[in-house]
Amino acid sequence: MAVDRRGFLKFVAGATTGVLATPVPWKLLDDASIWTQNWSWIPRNVDGANSYVSTISKLCPSAAGMKVRLVGERPVRVLPDDNHPLSMGGITALAVAEVQLMYSPSRVKRPLKHAGDGAYVAISWEEAEKMLKENLRRAGSKVAYVSGDETGTINELLSGMAKESGSEDFYVMPSEVQPAALAFASMNGKGQLGYDIENSDYVFAIGANILESWGTVLRNRAAFKKSHPAAKKPTVKFVYAGPVQNNTAAGADEWLPAKSGAEAIVAMGIANLLIKSGATINAPDFAEFKALAAQYTPQKVAALAGVAPAKLKAIAAELSKAQRPVVLTGSEFGQGTGVATVLAGTAVNMLLGSFGREGGVKALPLAPKVIASGMDRSESAQKDLVAYLSRISAGKVSKPRAMVFYEANPVYGLPQPAAMAKVMDKVPFKVAFTSFLDETAKACDLILPTPLGLERFDDVETPYGIGQAFYSLARPVAPCVIDGKPAADVLLSVATQLNMDLGFATFEEILQAKAEAAGADWDSLMEGEFFTSDAVAEQSNLRIAADVIGKALAAAPKAAKLSIAPVQKLSLGTPNTAIPPYNNKTIRRWELQKNEMYVAMNGATARELGVVKHDRIKLSNSSGSIQARVNIFEGVMPNTIAVLMGFGHTAFDEFSKGKGENVMELLTVGYEAGTGQSVWNVAGVNVSKA
Amino acid sequence: MQTKEFTIKWGMAIDLDKCTGCGACMVACQAENNLAPIADASNKIKVMNWITVYELSNGKPYPEHDVAYLPRPCQQCGHPPCVSVCPVIATDKNEEGGIVSQVTPRCIGCRYCMAACPYHARYFNWRDPVWPGGLEKALTPDVSVRPRGVVEKCTFCHHRWMAAKDKAIVEGRDPMDLAEGEYVTSCTEACPNGAITFGDLNNEEHEVAKLASSKHAHRLLERLGAHTQVYYVSRREWVLRQLDNYLEDEKVKG
Ligand code: SF4
Repeated sequence: MAVDRRGFLKFVAGATTGVLATPVPWKLLDDASIWTQNWSWIPRNVDGANSYVSTISKLCPSAAGMKVRLVGERPVRVLPDDNHPLSMGGITALAVAEVQLMYSPSRVKRPLKHAGDGAYVAISWEEAEKMLKENLRRAGSKVAYVSGDETGTINELLSGMAKESGSEDFYVMPSEVQPAALAFASMNGKGQLGYDIENSDYVFAIGANILESWGTVLRNRAAFKKSHPAAKKPTVKFVYAGPVQNNTAAGADEWLPAKSGAEAIVAMGIANLLIKSGATINAPDFAEFKALAAQYTPQKVAALAGVAPAKLKAIAAELSKAQRPVVLTGSEFGQGTGVATVLAGTAVNMLLGSFGREGGVKALPLAPKVIASGMDRSESAQKDLVAYLSRISAGKVSKPRAMVFYEANPVYGLPQPAAMAKVMDKVPFKVAFTSFLDETAKACDLILPTPLGLERFDDVETPYGIGQAFYSLARPVAPCVIDGKPAADVLLSVATQLNMDLGFATFEEILQAKAEAAGADWDSLMEGEFFTSDAVAEQSNLRIAADVIGKALAAAPKAAKLSIAPVQKLSLGTPNTAIPPYNNKTIRRWELQKNEMYVAMNGATARELGVVKHDRIKLSNSSGSIQARVNIFEGVMPNTIAVLMGFGHTAFDEFSKGKGENVMELLTVGYEAGTGQSVWNVAGVNVSKA
Repeated sequence: MQTKEFTIKWGMAIDLDKCTGCGACMVACQAENNLAPIADASNKIKVMNWITVYELSNGKPYPEHDVAYLPRPCQQCGHPPCVSVCPVIATDKNEEGGIVSQVTPRCIGCRYCMAACPYHARYFNWRDPVWPGGLEKALTPDVSVRPRGVVEKCTFCHHRWMAAKDKAIVEGRDPMDLAEGEYVTSCTEACPNGAITFGDLNNEEHEVAKLASSKHAHRLLERLGAHTQVYYVSRREWVLRQLDNYLEDEKVKG
């Protein structure tokens, strides 16, 4: 049969219609798309029974209360805990990544020893403990302990071991805790300063980035949430004073631009205006304080802190009109501030009648120490790690023969880290109890893996910032995924072998004693409950410590022509966690491109420096230098360069390592006149094109 | 095309005056929905986030400058531009609740939907998802892991709705009449500032419905007519102006 062209085309059209009308090609396409997605290396979901455990974060500095969701035995999610006083529904960008951090590629999986050729050798726990014990014995009293935990009773154990061996060298990594404790002690205060933000009707944060990382930030945010009903006028005004329109400024009802490190000056300016309008303090040194405050006229505050006089006056007037105002002071990046900052802020609270009042500042009682030879919090807060390392560097004190680091990463997290690391280099034996292979661990001779807070028992006592006394246990929600041992157990065993008498055989006994001392019920703590108390610490002879403020401010370094303003974001982790795997997606476009970081300045500053967006610049000063690209952001004060913290890790994993540079390189350590406390919240910088 | 209407219309109201850009929602979303982490997240074109927080600026120089943060999940358009362009019907809006679905196994990765979505809410999975160091042990069982080569987007944590309905059925309650808060998305729950409110836009008792009808509520690019189920709330006029690209001389609606 002959097929003509017309017949052929008809056949083709018919066949096409037939093919399209049958489900076969569609089914094949569907199957093909399913099967091309069915790769064996794509993980499968593993189901199981759901359960939820309440606990508290030991990784997030805000001590986030949280619920952990388990599927079978596996923890899979950190969820907010609506009933927790430190969370009240909501979670931080750091705590929410905590389960994932259990499996972080940078976790130390087994004890490691640093071999002579620089390699790490896996060793057994027996060998590790033996090495630790021998080195501690050899070091005798020439041993120093450094802790990265602000709230745990393990600090009593560490300081107790130091003292038992005849050493006074126990240090906690610097934060807001030390200046606050020193400030309150110089006022003759007893207990810890606490801020009752939730009951306040006007919140003025000077420096303290209360909506990002200052204090118990989830609790601060809960107060903000409640007082800022959606689509309605806020019921409480939040004002933030600082050099950068950071996340706290973004939420605050008003941003008051104020130079980095000028927090005490702003507070004194407010104090002066309040006194002028008739406010007084019933304290023996009020006259002295009044005379001092009188120097801080709005014009002087404008010159020193860059605050517009009209704005300062307006805020002082609003504060005096408020019923329950509270003023919070601190460094805008959580460290490096002086004692005078806290003192000046507390004086303003006293002038406002907010000291000891609901919605104001309270003195919270702290549980007595349970390890007799250990240091209590006020004792350990007197210990200045940065000053200690600087004194070693200057040859004023001899270097220790051994250093023990507990979840602390000073090689990354201290100001002038390179100089600090050099000092540590000279120490013959260093051991790191750590969960992650961080910069400090890499510099140690022995690396001992610790279970994370989700894998061990630990405790949290009254974190700095909270407005009431608090005690809670962190509980293991899952077996430890690495060959780790709780540091407390290892140290107790070594202490016994070194014939130290700490009074306890196990960490659990220590925690039980602490819970009792705090007034908490152990059984309910074990069930995930927490202890809070509205009790306040009784005070007598409270003074303003005007002499301390006076000396510190008289000798305070003047802000440089061009200064650095570090910006802290909890989503980028801490020196101990680096940037958690999921969190690097929260880094904004012009904060990091590949491995190059951006720093921000306003357009006027850029013009003055002759740079434009994306230019590569070098920032340097006597402490060090970093390279970055320029971003223009108008929410930065003139002559100020905002630099994000959390970059520049040389350790950890692919999610953190080698990204940008560490702003701490530029922070220059100075000493506060009158108190001698190390400070590094004022840093001048030079900029050149790179 | 008509806007699809349902008895229940799940929606969100995001208060831009309360969001401070902390990123807790972004991290919570990734953990909840099994998105893979990525070593270099600086390439914002090829990095997947079902919810992204954008930074807005009022464009004024210091000291008049103001900043706001805008979390952007899938807007669950009532009239979704992405649905009509999908050649294999991998995305649809047909289910009660009004959530725009995305059937991963059916997706052939042609990316027409990405081109059609005015909100950049859809992401192409450029890379094999990898969870280094045993991170896959923290995967949730609720959302299957998607391979390279498909398009993904926010589903308002649809699995949570399923779970809430199942719970109601087991307890002998009407699964179509869930109380406020029984079903919320992971980002809503995570936000420590309470910037996100989630619920049924059709239920006047639900907070989200009240917020959506507030004079401060606007929708993103509203004039495109996508009838989105996400509302943005701000008392700042400059923020509202940017939501729908208002011209300088135009008055903001509301
Ligand atoms: S936001 Fe984009 S992806 Fe979501 S429904 Fe609308 S068009 Fe589709």
